[in-house]
Amino acid sequence: MSQPKPAPRESLLERLTPPALILAVALAIWEGLVRTFDVPPWLLPAPTDIAVRFVKATNLLYHTGLTVLEALAGFAASAVIGITLSALIVHSRFLERGVFPYIIVSNAIPIIAIIPLLTIWFGYGIAPKIMIASIITFFPIVTNTTRGLKSADRRILDFMHSINATRSEVFFKVQLPTALPYIFAGFKIAASLSLVGAVVAEFYGSDRGLGYLVITSATQLRTDLLFVSIIVLAALGVTLFAIFGHLEKLALRGEAALEPNR
Amino acid sequence: MTAEAPPCVRLEDVDVTFRTPDQVVQALTGVSLEVGEGEFVALLGPTGCGKSTLLRVVSDLTHPSSGVVEVRGRPAAEARRANEFGFVFQEPALLPWRSAIENVMLPLEVVKYPPAERRARCEVLLERVGLTKFLNRYPHELSGGMKQRVAIVRALAWNPSILLMDEPFSALDELTKGELQDELLAIWSRERKTILFVTHNISEAVYLADRVMVMSAHPGRIVATIPVELPRSRDPGVRDTLEFLQHVKRAREALKR
Repeated sequence: MSQPKPAPRESLLERLTPPALILAVALAIWEGLVRTFDVPPWLLPAPTDIAVRFVKATNLLYHTGLTVLEALAGFAASAVIGITLSALIVHSRFLERGVFPYIIVSNAIPIIAIIPLLTIWFGYGIAPKIMIASIITFFPIVTNTTRGLKSADRRILDFMHSINATRSEVFFKVQLPTALPYIFAGFKIAASLSLVGAVVAEFYGSDRGLGYLVITSATQLRTDLLFVSIIVLAALGVTLFAIFGHLEKLALRGEAALEPNR
Repeated sequence: MTAEAPPCVRLEDVDVTFRTPDQVVQALTGVSLEVGEGEFVALLGPTGCGKSTLLRVVSDLTHPSSGVVEVRGRPAAEARRANEFGFVFQEPALLPWRSAIENVMLPLEVVKYPPAERRARCEVLLERVGLTKFLNRYPHELSGGMKQRVAIVRALAWNPSILLMDEPFSALDELTKGELQDELLAIWSRERKTILFVTHNISEAVYLADRVMVMSAHPGRIVATIPVELPRSRDPGVRDTLEFLQHVKRAREALKR
């Protein structure tokens, strides 16, 4: 008797073919409409024009790199400060009550309104951009981490207490690992937000970065360059999201592991 | 005249009151009991009679509002610091990111058990409950009975003298429950731990314990103590004897009072 074989795993090619085909058709229609009706390029450039601009754009890599640097630096600062603060919050009722209202207020302040203030204080360099990226990512990181740290199993905490475990043992052996999925969920949200923060900060008073590129190409009606900037930003967002999604999977390997041996 | 050894666990006139803004709950009133070294005591009672609270008081997880709690002649807090208690809950409460053996090693890391001996110790213990093949499995890959075996072994790993069990088998199916009861008796007769076993299952209490303490709710208190006069090295056959059924009947009547 032959065992029935399991269905073959779907290959990457099979999965990518439908969206790629749809994209190709959409681009072809777009190109056709622009050529047929002779749409002016400042209104809607053809996909081929955008592609040419993408290849010929000078300093695109520099602008991109700078924005990524600002976003990631802000993100990293936020992750370090946010996770530390969450750890303090779950260990102190006083801090939780004292700090949480301000964390909520910080989220309620429109970030755009803070940019001029930070520019007055820190000038036109990358510092205020990093701060904005940091502020905008702070809330999802702190709230998710705090919720994760608090979701540790009550009985395991009792068990740890009954064997006289120290606070740091409880934190590192139980609370932090419990919180990891929550922390990565926060990271995924924060990753795209950090880009938004950096770009929006560059809108106001800067002479470099993708945000600067967006603003200048818009005011000069260089619509093809505007499209290039938007596409690069979208690609960055997707990449960051995918990276943190992958890290999340790695961190959760123990729980979801199918292979019994590690 | 030689001083008599203090009992393993002694409670004297213990009250536990929980206050919330809306109400005051008398979880335990006037509870006094003594448990000897190596004794197996079942705490039997309905939901809300404070039997879980009693375990928490013994292990210094909850502080009594008044009364005395002593473990081997010293305050419960000291006994907790000396790692005297192994706690088992109704749910296994394992860490999902740790394999079976890593879960059992958790308390050994905390009580500073010699690192070189940890793995060997855990392997022996897991082998005794038939989990040799499952050492490296994660909790989600184990059955309910296996997970509870891991939880029991986790509570024995550093060889604590007192085992506190809070309805450990009540979430298991009948067959698995029977198996684990017998395994627990085997562990107890081999290692002579003092066991405080909370249950709401009358025949489980009679089958396992030397003494059944019957509790009642509102307020939580001990209403009867029934010594179990069945021969030790019990096997499932004892459940069908008249003697066993008489004990069950006495416990049931005490519960009704």
